[in-house]
Amino acid sequence: MAYLVRNDIVQYACTCGQLRPISFLYFCRHCLKLRCGYCVCHEVESHYCSNCLEILPSAEARLKKNRHVPKHIRKCQACFDCPNCLNTLAVRGTTVSVRDPEDPSKVNSQKKYYHACFFCRWTTRDVGLPDQAVQTVSANGWAQKNTSNLQRITVLLEHAKLLGMLERHEREQREKKFTTRFRRNFSHLPGLTAAHVRKRAGLPPELPAPSTIKVNLAEFQPAVAKDTVQELPSDIFTEELDISRVTTLAQRFAQPETQPENIEDLLPMYKHLSTKQSQRCRECEHNVSKPELNPSSIKFKIQQAAYFHVPEVRFVTIEPPIGGKPSEVVILFINPSQHPTTLSFITLQEAEDEMKQYHSEGSADTSVQQGEAPPSLSSLTKPVTVVEEQKPIDISLTGEVLLPAPDIEIILPPKDDAAEYDDSGETQQFHDDPKIVIHRRANKASLRFTVVPKTDFIGENCVIGFAFRYTYVNRISSPAISTSEQKPQKVQLCTRVFMNCGKILEGTQ
Amino acid sequence: MELSDILYNKAEYVETASGNKVSRHTVLCGSQNIVLHGKVIVQSDAIIRGDLAHVRTGRYCIVSKRAVLRPSFKKFSKGVAFFPLAMGDHVFVGENSVVSAAMVGSYVYIGNNVVIGRRCILKDCCYIEDNTVLPPETVVPSFSRYAGSPGVCVGELPECTQELMFDLTKNYYQHFIPAPQ
Repeated sequence: MAYLVRNDIVQYACTCGQLRPISFLYFCRHCLKLRCGYCVCHEVESHYCSNCLEILPSAEARLKKNRHVPKHIRKCQACFDCPNCLNTLAVRGTTVSVRDPEDPSKVNSQKKYYHACFFCRWTTRDVGLPDQAVQTVSANGWAQKNTSNLQRITVLLEHAKLLGMLERHEREQREKKFTTRFRRNFSHLPGLTAAHVRKRAGLPPELPAPSTIKVNLAEFQPAVAKDTVQELPSDIFTEELDISRVTTLAQRFAQPETQPENIEDLLPMYKHLSTKQSQRCRECEHNVSKPELNPSSIKFKIQQAAYFHVPEVRFVTIEPPIGGKPSEVVILFINPSQHPTTLSFITLQEAEDEMKQYHSEGSADTSVQQGEAPPSLSSLTKPVTVVEEQKPIDISLTGEVLLPAPDIEIILPPKDDAAEYDDSGETQQFHDDPKIVIHRRANKASLRFTVVPKTDFIGENCVIGFAFRYTYVNRISSPAISTSEQKPQKVQLCTRVFMNCGKILEGTQ
Repeated sequence: MELSDILYNKAEYVETASGNKVSRHTVLCGSQNIVLHGKVIVQSDAIIRGDLAHVRTGRYCIVSKRAVLRPSFKKFSKGVAFFPLAMGDHVFVGENSVVSAAMVGSYVYIGNNVVIGRRCILKDCCYIEDNTVLPPETVVPSFSRYAGSPGVCVGELPECTQELMFDLTKNYYQHFIPAPQ
């Protein structure tokens, strides 16, 4: 929960060196490594409108039909944002009386709809937009007043896309020199087009030839500085400026196509679509997270968050850290898995050495570690390894933590959802050192640590760091080994944790 | 941070058979229309307006001090109609917040001093930051974080929000204990 409110108290080091709270990390069960948002591929599963919660499966196909919306901007066709306060607009219905065109003495009542903002009370009537006869108003009736910027923006976006393509082309060429790639080897497979194969292999779509890209790039006209600037309106010095009629910057930026200056020119904006994304480990190309398509569903088809696999660390109590004086902190460890785990503590330096060793060993026998590609890929290709390089952790430690000896092991029982109904108390006996373990409850244990804040960082946050080893039971069934021999594998993993104990105070002595 | 114990005066709170803990210093109007589905905490000076329409909460909901749960209404040509307020499981409502939503899903966090306007729909797993004002008829989709006035989407929530909220509300209930006499 602290992760929802404050993110900087307990942070875990990802395999790549990024610091993240555990809730924002994934755990790849195939590589047995932590993965942060930078170490996974984000793939858009579906587009949906956050207001009407309608899925737009082929958002592009739908948008192409509508000429008023450029195809690169994904927006909902039925919902609008208020151009004044950026809130969502609501549809209001009214009955208006209309004179019968054939018989002027007769008055017909007609249902008409307009959009209104319930927050700032802006309505489409304020800017003179006619009421609509149908409830699902499409913006077709609202003529785009000035779209000169729209054309320029489209050209600029196209240009940026071409530059990106060229860059990618160069990179692919460069990579090709060093690695023997499978790229074109499987295009002969029956029944699959080249584009389909690329898609299945998780590769971006085929690029156009560099010559065509260059030709298209040459057509681009860069912006030209003009000597003559548009004259100021003649009444600018005589008329008093009514600041309430001028749009704010936020309002202008929200409508880049028109960038209106006066509030009379504000038009309702299409609501931008939200996305559901799945995450894929970049090293082994297995999914670590895959949501259900339905926008209102919170279930996942695959969910390998670190929160479900790696022991969670929380502060219970912290004595106020005083520079140079040892203070006691109580830290809670929670085992989230269905198997008991054994914790032991090591320093960051030891953990780094261990990881380096693991890395060098791991690169030698990667085929064993990650040989089983997903079945959809294994027939086509061996996954390309795109590994994020390990970076040093960017945090300065302002406190020393005294850890228990590395041979002291703390056993955490498995998570048991039925345990809360069990009132019998502690049944298992762990021969714990009472100096270290001060409390146990189900799959949790509170441990006592001593922290010595450094004297030269008074006034700054006291950041401590340590690493712990834990046993992890790998229950992945691999098709390579026959099921009879399949046994859950027990492995020892290590993770690094950084904790913020609060501001270091000055000692009284 | 693990929650520390929240002590309450045992004489002040009523504990029902299903584990609801309701302060005596609350205003529960139309109590026959209020259903608390068990292990719900309603703290002092909270107001639940069951007299307007049905109010139902799921399990492990926390209604903090001075929060108001008020079913929303809509004006029709023939008068006013009130809509029942349905709240899912594991919902946290912060202090001084006013909730007039039509529906609040499960695993929702509503911060302090928040105003949820009439007929808002809060889907499962969303987070409303402190001091947010949601205008009427706003829809808050799952895994989104809303803030500001008017409330707009400012971010996303992690995939394990469900477990985080489950953990929060359950922990809160476990740590909400009577003060020793």
